[in-house]
Amino acid sequence: MTSLVRASNVSKRFKDVRAVDDVSFEIDKGKIMGLIGPNGAGKTTLLKAVLGLTDCDGQLSVLGLDPFRQRKQLMQNICFIADVAVLPRWIKVTQLLDFMEATHPNFSRSHAEELLSRTKVRKEAKVRELSKGMVTQLHLSIITAIDARLLVLDEPTLGLDIIFRKEFYGNLLNDYFDGERTILITTHQVEEIENLLTDIMFINEGKILLHSSMEALPDTYVELTTSGENAERARRLGPVYERDVFGKKVMTFEGVDREHLESLGEAHTPSVADLFVAKVKGAAA
Amino acid sequence: MRSQPALLRRELWEHRSIYVTPAVVGLVMTLLILTGYIFASGYHSVVDIGILAGQNMLGDAERRAALTAFLVGNTVVFILASAVLTIFYCLDSMYAERKDKSILFWRSLPITDAETVISKLLTAVIVIPLVTFGVIVIAHLVNLALTSVFVSIQGGQAGLLVWKSAPLFDVWAAILIIMLALPVWFSPFIGWFLFVSAWTKRSPLLTAFLPLVLVPMLEYFIIRTHLIGTAIESRFSGIPIFSGIDPEVFFDEEAFASRADAVSLLGFIDIGKFLMSPAMWAGIVVCGLFATAAIYVRRYRDES
Repeated sequence: MTSLVRASNVSKRFKDVRAVDDVSFEIDKGKIMGLIGPNGAGKTTLLKAVLGLTDCDGQLSVLGLDPFRQRKQLMQNICFIADVAVLPRWIKVTQLLDFMEATHPNFSRSHAEELLSRTKVRKEAKVRELSKGMVTQLHLSIITAIDARLLVLDEPTLGLDIIFRKEFYGNLLNDYFDGERTILITTHQVEEIENLLTDIMFINEGKILLHSSMEALPDTYVELTTSGENAERARRLGPVYERDVFGKKVMTFEGVDREHLESLGEAHTPSVADLFVAKVKGAAA
Repeated sequence: MRSQPALLRRELWEHRSIYVTPAVVGLVMTLLILTGYIFASGYHSVVDIGILAGQNMLGDAERRAALTAFLVGNTVVFILASAVLTIFYCLDSMYAERKDKSILFWRSLPITDAETVISKLLTAVIVIPLVTFGVIVIAHLVNLALTSVFVSIQGGQAGLLVWKSAPLFDVWAAILIIMLALPVWFSPFIGWFLFVSAWTKRSPLLTAFLPLVLVPMLEYFIIRTHLIGTAIESRFSGIPIFSGIDPEVFFDEEAFASRADAVSLLGFIDIGKFLMSPAMWAGIVVCGLFATAAIYVRRYRDES
């Protein structure tokens, strides 16, 4: 397994703020990595560094290239959707296809046209005439038609309704992802992508709080719902985070034997969203 | 540089004003000329179509001169309009993409910032003049056609009086040279406008023009010199492309009449003088510095 993205001791500071603080990680080929963090956690800065849009300290290599200094070569093999609004509003769909065909060596026009024919996007329409959902369909079709090795998605479904969001991720899995390609994605709507991720990374205040494969999560993290004396006993095992739900105690444990916890209450694997809250709040406590 | 044709095409898609502006100027001018002729036709007994119909010895040269003046007069408005167009194009070229965030899309493609900035510079210096020139040629042909209709109605021979007398290729060659030389001569401003467009957070027009006034004033107040002010002014005191005009020629009727070819716009143009002008080359260097700064800003500044 080769790593597509390799970061060691990557930092990026803006004046007094360390947006990304000494971060090291690797992303292997064929993974769908979710980068999850609150606003201002440094997600977007980290993605920008990966995309070569901003310079950073430390060693960062993407597809074996220095993203900032070799951005042009890198962009032949990476694509990204940063926000739904980024397609220029004045451009016509056909012009966009013409331009992509002329400038992107790995773009397949026929593939893009085939993907677009499944949508309601008219080829003569300008982007400004399309609905927000259609613009995203257009963007995803274009991106999918690029034979790229890494796809970076930064809040790709922001402002879309639930039907478009479901469809977006459905198309992403069916049309884009083939096990050879790699996806790095950030979103606030964690619940919607939880099932498609192979790996997750939590980031807060510029630091990585957790980096794990989804498969490994149940081995390490257990959420226990309990009350009364059992709650006291469980608390002595050192939960990372504890909260009250309907008068019961819900505790999140890290690295505590699951069978032991099952004797104290109802044990299950926390959702990514709950685990995220536990890690962020637990780290703050 | 493989992407350059596509990048230039993109500028034409985005900035339709590049061809709409000259087209509108041409249309308005043609309508004005048409109105003039219709108006003049009503007074055909009073209006002397004189020079055009003149059959005297001086006729050929005078007609040629009159038609040259007619064509040049037609052209001046286009050149002024393309100057304004170039200013607005430059200021918008890298400001709009930041405002609507489409810069993130453009930068997601395998195109360097240098290629992008160069495409904007080429659009300002070459594409806009060429497109405007194309429209000028069409406007000239249309306006001459209107003139020949007018002349025919007045009983003149349009073929001889208009088409054979109009030094079209002489005038067109001269106009093309001037239109390509003007942006080169004013390239320091083009470079500055492109830089402002890539750099300013708000109001590119104000950011571009305020320093042109304030910096020379500050220079004078602080170090009591006029260097920058003089440099800016000298750009407007004339472009070093015209050879000296000897007014004697116009008063020497014999010489004038014997050679209708003497009436030549192209004859006034001295390309060598332009190419040898240190001021022109200095301007290109300044333009290059500003363009480099624009590339640097587009590349290094974080847009979030």
